[in-house]
Amino acid sequence: MINHLTRTELLDAIEAPSQISTGRTRHLEECNACRLQVDSLRGVLARARADRVPEPSPLFWDHFSARVSEAVRDQSIGADQTAWWPRVRRPLATWAAASLASVLVLVTVLWRATVHAPSFPRVAPPDAVVTLEAPPADNLDADERWAVVRAAAENVAWEDVHDAGITAAPGETEGVALELTADERSELARLINQELKRNGV
Amino acid sequence: MVTAAAAQTDDDRTLVDAALSGSREAFDELVRRHQRHVYQLCYRFTGNHEDASDLAQDVFIRAYRGLAGFKRQSSFSTWLYRIGVNVCLNRVASHAGSRTVGLESGDRVDARAERADVALLRQEQAAEVRAAVARLPPKQRAAVILRVYHELPHDEIAEILGSSVGAVKANFFHALGNLKKLLQKS
Repeated sequence: MINHLTRTELLDAIEAPSQISTGRTRHLEECNACRLQVDSLRGVLARARADRVPEPSPLFWDHFSARVSEAVRDQSIGADQTAWWPRVRRPLATWAAASLASVLVLVTVLWRATVHAPSFPRVAPPDAVVTLEAPPADNLDADERWAVVRAAAENVAWEDVHDAGITAAPGETEGVALELTADERSELARLINQELKRNGV
Repeated sequence: MVTAAAAQTDDDRTLVDAALSGSREAFDELVRRHQRHVYQLCYRFTGNHEDASDLAQDVFIRAYRGLAGFKRQSSFSTWLYRIGVNVCLNRVASHAGSRTVGLESGDRVDARAERADVALLRQEQAAEVRAAVARLPPKQRAAVILRVYHELPHDEIAEILGSSVGAVKANFFHALGNLKKLLQKS
């Protein structure tokens, strides 16, 4: 079986023939196919090398360095790297947004579980004094837990939430909306209207 | 024995430190040292003097702004080449198809020492080579420019392109093969 030169050996034969082993050199001398390939690519390389970039006027270099000097005068050196805060702030903001969003989800789930937990009629012991507890606060404005969630959410930019990879899958929003109670839906509508008015839509 | 290249690298690092400490003169000196190579690199990608000088200026501005990010894992020259290749490849990508690289009309070819027909033939061949190099895929083109015209070793090209030495050699080998086909057609 003929063991032709590999790509790397061919390249070495083109660029630096002294680097290939004696055995491979012998093959190159005997193998017409390898020798033709090396010779033709060597010719291409020589032709490419013959092309020189035209040298600009000697005055150009002074003019060029002065131009660069002028251009960087208004720039701050390493503007993107010297300040540690911008490098740290972005990941921090992303992590903060991710953490806050996770807390929001958790609080919302807990809130829904407590406020809308299926209620079963209490069976009071016959001799106990029946005292009625105050009904769970279904009024969202009055709910302290919801107020905490809202206060936290106001400080989160949607871009940060999105950057943190928290997005809704197609159909997810509709699914959640269908699960809302009438009160929740009206509160959602109120919040959407409020947001639209604030943005002048 | 300290080689000239190693001494230049040490000098460059001293200048980088000085520039980072606020010496504009130090950065000016870095520009003067490397402007020719950066310009020639940009010329190879653009094919004309005006675009090459604009692009070379852009390379130095980016280097200045990112100087604090120079990690000294490579030489300043390698780092500068990396910026240069990125700037040039971005430029090529954004101007794809809008311009054919060749000899610009204003190229000064000193034809005093050779016959007019020989000079003309040389110009035509140069234009063919540049047009063929310009038609190579980006990484092959960068490999050819850095290897053939800047005579950089494969390992330094690998550092500049963020590839392995094997990948650079493969790119260069394929580039030669493609150049051969393109030049045969022209």
